[in-house]
Amino acid sequence: MTGVRAPRGPRGLIWATLRVHRTALIFWGLALTAATVCLVWMYAIADDARRGNVPCAEPAHDGYPSCSSVEAITVDDTYTQGIALVTTALTYAIFPVAAWAGGALVGRELENGTARLAWTQSVTPARWLAARLAVPAVLLTAATGTVTLLGLWARQDDDPNLVGDWYYPDVFLGTGPTAVVYPLAGLALGALAGLLLRRALPAAGVGFAAALLLYNLLERNRETLWPTVTRAEAGGFELPRSAWQMGWNDSLTRATYHPRSHFWPLQYVETGIVLAIAAAATLAAFAVLRRRTP
Amino acid sequence: MTETAIEAAALGKGFGRRRKQALDDCSFRLLTGSVCAVVGPNGAGKSTLLSLAAGLLRPTDGTITVLGAAPAAVRERLAYVAQDKPLHPQLTVADTLRYGRELNPGRWDDQVAERIVAEGELEAGARIRTLSGGQRTRVALALALGKRPELLLLDEPMADLDPLARHQLMATLMADAAEHGTTVVMSSHVVAELDGACDHLLLLGAGRVRLSGPLDDLLAAHRLVTGRADASLDPHTVVESRTTGRQTTALVRPEGPLGPSWQATAPTLEELVLAHLRAPEAPALRLDDVREAAV
Repeated sequence: MTGVRAPRGPRGLIWATLRVHRTALIFWGLALTAATVCLVWMYAIADDARRGNVPCAEPAHDGYPSCSSVEAITVDDTYTQGIALVTTALTYAIFPVAAWAGGALVGRELENGTARLAWTQSVTPARWLAARLAVPAVLLTAATGTVTLLGLWARQDDDPNLVGDWYYPDVFLGTGPTAVVYPLAGLALGALAGLLLRRALPAAGVGFAAALLLYNLLERNRETLWPTVTRAEAGGFELPRSAWQMGWNDSLTRATYHPRSHFWPLQYVETGIVLAIAAAATLAAFAVLRRRTP
Repeated sequence: MTETAIEAAALGKGFGRRRKQALDDCSFRLLTGSVCAVVGPNGAGKSTLLSLAAGLLRPTDGTITVLGAAPAAVRERLAYVAQDKPLHPQLTVADTLRYGRELNPGRWDDQVAERIVAEGELEAGARIRTLSGGQRTRVALALALGKRPELLLLDEPMADLDPLARHQLMATLMADAAEHGTTVVMSSHVVAELDGACDHLLLLGAGRVRLSGPLDDLLAAHRLVTGRADASLDPHTVVESRTTGRQTTALVRPEGPLGPSWQATAPTLEELVLAHLRAPEAPALRLDDVREAAV
C-alpha cells in the first residue's frame, strides 16, 4: 500500500455518509444552533416575562401593580412565541426528516445508481443501509434530545399562561421522549419508502405522507392511550386547569379527564408505539434490501 | 493460469411480473487473466450479465460463480463500472477518490487512482457535476482500478470518450491489467473499440450466448468464403451467406477441407461479429471448454 494517509475524524462508511450528505449535516448544525440560541435567549428573558404576566389592578393597590404598567411589558409575548416556535419546530421535525430520508438518503441513491457504486466497493448492501440509518439516527437523537432538555430548562416553572398547558399537542410532544422518537420513526419510514419506490421524488412524498399519517393518528387517539379518570360529585364541581378534560355529563356532575400525573404514562405508551413503528419500518427496510440484492 | 474467473451455468434473469427474460440459459466460462469482450446488439443482455457478475442482481435461474465463489461474497475482489458511470455529483474528484479509499480498506492504491485522474488533467477540487461525460468516465475508472480488483467489469466503458482519450485510457487499462494479471470483462456494441485489446469473445444475442471462446480459436473456426452462387457449401455450417448476382459470400464453420470452388480468407473480428448479428438463427458455438480439456 502506498500513499495511505491517516486523516483524523470518522472513517469508512461513517465518513462516506457524512460527506455525501454534507448539505443535510450543515442544515442539521444550523437548526440545532438556531434552536439553542433561541432557547438560551428565552431562558434569559424568562424572569422578565413572568413580571409581564401577573395579576394587576387599575389603579395599582393592595400590592398589585397597575395594569397599564404590566401591559407595557411585551417581553412575555416574545417569550411565549419563542418557546412555542421552537417546540412546534421540534414536533414537526419528523416531516422534513421523513421526506429527506426517502428522497435524498435512500431514494436518490437507488435512482441514480450511487447505491450500486457503494455496493461494488468492499461494502455489503446491509452495511451500507445500516450506516445510512445509524449516522442520521445518532445525530437526530443528539439534536432532539438537546433541544428538548434546553426547552424544559427555558420553560422553568411551566407557567401555562406563558408556555401552554401540558396537554396541548405541541407541548405534549415537545417536552418528553416523544420529541426524540418521532424523528427516528420519520427516518425509518422515509428509508423504507425509498427502498420500496427506488426513486427520490415519489419516496420523499410517500415518506412525508407516512409521517403525516402517523402523527395525526396518534394525535387523534392520544387520550385513549391511558385510562382516563372519572370524577362524580352530586353538587357539581370544577376541574383544575391542569386537567385534560375529555367530557362532562349534561348536569355537570361527572367528568372524565387526564390529570397532570398522566403525562408520563401517556408519554411512555406513545414513545413505545412510535419506537415499535420505527423498529418495524427498519426491519422491513432491511428485508426489502435483502430480497432485492444477492 | 487455469483458474476460472467467471463461470455461468444455465444462467437466466427475468425482470418484472411477466418474467421477461433478459438472459436465458447462458453457459460460458472465462479463465483468469483473460480480457473478454462482451458484444451484442442493444437489449442482448450485456448489462444484465455484468450486473449479475458484480453481485448486484440475483439470477432467476442457474448460477454464476465469480473467482470461485458467489459474486456477493467476493465484492472486495471485483470492480464494476456501470454504463451510466454513477458518481456522487456533489463530491469533488479528491473526495471521490477518498470515497474509494474509505470503502475499500486494505485494498486501495492511491497511486494508481491518482495517476489515472492526473492523466486526464482533472483538478482535484473540481466537483463531479462540473465534469464532462468523458472526465466522469475517467474518475469512475480511477475508482475501479484504485481498488486493485482481480476482476474488472466494465459496462460500455468508452462510450463517452473522444477517440484520443479512448485510446489512451484503453492503453492504461490494458497495461494495468497485464501488469497485475487482472481479468477484464468489457461490454460494447462498438466492435472496433475492442479489436486488438481482447483475447476472449462472448457474443450475446436475445439473452443467449451465441459465441464464446478465445478470440483466436473463434476466428480460426470460421472462414469467409467467396464462390459461384450455385456451388454447394455442404457439409459446412453456414452462419450467413449473401448472394449478389452470380457470386455468393458466406461466413462458414468448415467441417473439413473447403472445395476448390471457394476462395477462403480468415474473417476479422468485425466480420465475425457482424455476420452473427445479421443471422440471429445461426447455431451457437462454444469453444471455452476446449481449452479446459487441453490443460
